[in-house]
Amino acid sequence: MPHLEIHNLTVSYEKNQPTLEQFSLDVEQGELLSLLGPSGCGKTTTLRSVAGFIRPDAGQILINDRDYTQLPPNRRDIGLVFQSYALFPHLTVFNNVAFGLRMRRIPKKEIHDRVTNALEMVGLDAFTKRRPAQLSGGQQQRVALARATVIEPQVLLLDEPLSNLDAKLRVDMRQEIRRLQQQLGITTLYVTHDQVEAMSISDRVVVMNQGKIEQIGTPESIFAAPETVFVADFMGFDNHFNAAVVSVQDRKLTVDWGGAPIELRWRSKFGSPQRGARAEIFFRADNASLLAGPEASGLVGQVILHTFHGNELRYLVETEIGEFSIMQDSASERFEPGAAVTVQPQPQKWIAIFEETEPYA
Amino acid sequence: MVSRWMYISLVILYGFLLGPFVIIFMASFGANATMAFPPQGFTLDWFARVFETSQFVDSFWISLQLALLSTIVSLVMGMPVAYALVRFQFAASGLVETVFSAPILVPGLVIGFAMLNFFVLLGKMPVMTGLFIGHTAILFPYSVRVISASLRNLDPYVEDAAVSLGANRLRGFLLVVLPNMQAGIAAAFVLGFITSFNNVPVSLFLSGPGVTTLPVSMLSYMEYYFDPTIAALSTLLVAFTVVLVQTAERVLGLSQFV
Repeated sequence: MPHLEIHNLTVSYEKNQPTLEQFSLDVEQGELLSLLGPSGCGKTTTLRSVAGFIRPDAGQILINDRDYTQLPPNRRDIGLVFQSYALFPHLTVFNNVAFGLRMRRIPKKEIHDRVTNALEMVGLDAFTKRRPAQLSGGQQQRVALARATVIEPQVLLLDEPLSNLDAKLRVDMRQEIRRLQQQLGITTLYVTHDQVEAMSISDRVVVMNQGKIEQIGTPESIFAAPETVFVADFMGFDNHFNAAVVSVQDRKLTVDWGGAPIELRWRSKFGSPQRGARAEIFFRADNASLLAGPEASGLVGQVILHTFHGNELRYLVETEIGEFSIMQDSASERFEPGAAVTVQPQPQKWIAIFEETEPYA
Repeated sequence: MVSRWMYISLVILYGFLLGPFVIIFMASFGANATMAFPPQGFTLDWFARVFETSQFVDSFWISLQLALLSTIVSLVMGMPVAYALVRFQFAASGLVETVFSAPILVPGLVIGFAMLNFFVLLGKMPVMTGLFIGHTAILFPYSVRVISASLRNLDPYVEDAAVSLGANRLRGFLLVVLPNMQAGIAAAFVLGFITSFNNVPVSLFLSGPGVTTLPVSMLSYMEYYFDPTIAALSTLLVAFTVVLVQTAERVLGLSQFV
């Protein structure tokens, strides 16, 4: 039985414009599940509905098989971590963390022990008497984590917890959150718009778009095999082009690539594609390479520009079927703008996606 | 060249601002029977006279009561308005804000005259009640503004955080929002108190027989007498206000709210 269940949740701020529509999701005990999507996709609305700050128009929220839908937010037993941390500025670190325990009328001695323990877990046991304004952003985030987890909530909700930190600290805090979550074995919903963050921290990722789920899966499966054009785009598939299907096997199909056939995987919501259908094909910049000069077989193109990215050079190459962005090791042979090149595919990592009804044609 | 001209104009500016006060200050220690400058001799008699003049003492207590009462009431009324304006977006919030700041925009004399007609002539209200309502009305927008400013500095999500930790809405407000409004409320209190205590135009219309505020009784005193008592009283009032504002600035950082 899933620990947290969301059934057919519908939320609309404006009439007939649902932010969430018939949204369903199961989260297992101890799982960290990310809601990933662009702003306005409904991920924060989902989180705030679980926390009880939004009354859904329809649907149910169950935790441990108990109906939470009508329960007010202060009786939900949920830990919440905000993007802005939302620490209480007039209280010390200790009293910030103790707040939830005091609301629960826990005996003083036990409050002291639990707060001390929680602050030790986030490495802030030396800072109990400070005020939030005297702490760095990362430290404030740790206090917010301690405050949300010390009450031993049923579910932990994190709303873009790392967006206000700088890039390096973000990577550290990511690991910190994951470690704490696994130590406590706490069921967690994590909202983010950053795909790298979602990939690195989650057991499963839900990619959301316009109030609906585009795809659910492990980070690996979503990274390697997006099921929709939106997910492919959001997951950093830099390149796409359109090609006619030459033939279809069981799990693979063949298309033409500059006169040579290439075989690649396909995804479709509408059954098997037919011969002659148009396929939308996606690949990442590092899943193709460049060879000097026009080759006999392969797609020929011309280098337009290159940009430097440390270990890699990113080339923009113009071909007859479109412009492609291709990464090359910066130690390898360098092509200057205007150079003729052949684009060498690695089709085993490419994917063809059918979203329209076209494959039946 | 620029800096020298700026320096000179600054001196002139401050000369105009502070000069009259320096004259009043010096005149309040002079021994002449009428106000004169430069004063001759030195005496503290005029200060003693201030405390002997029952007109001043009575109206001081009235001003004090009035300032305290109307400031407190305007704060109590201003708090929920400020809270609503800062926390909620509603269709008419711009209009509401304009209406609530009207007493700042309308000239004091107009407010005083309008209230005279409404409260005293039409409503037959006791003088003190009229004064109290009038002062509360002019202080109210200041309360709303200063408290709003302190609320805008507070992360709106702290309330949600308190609620998610088990506090109901009211406790969340009392335990988390209110303590963080303290400085703003105190600042609004000091500002309101000074505004009411020094107000002339509204008090002028709403004062009545035997019930007069200090500034108004100073005005009427000067119609008959021109001795340095009024200068001594002015000096005392300036000292009172400066001490109040300085204390508030030291303790609360008043200037960040105004």
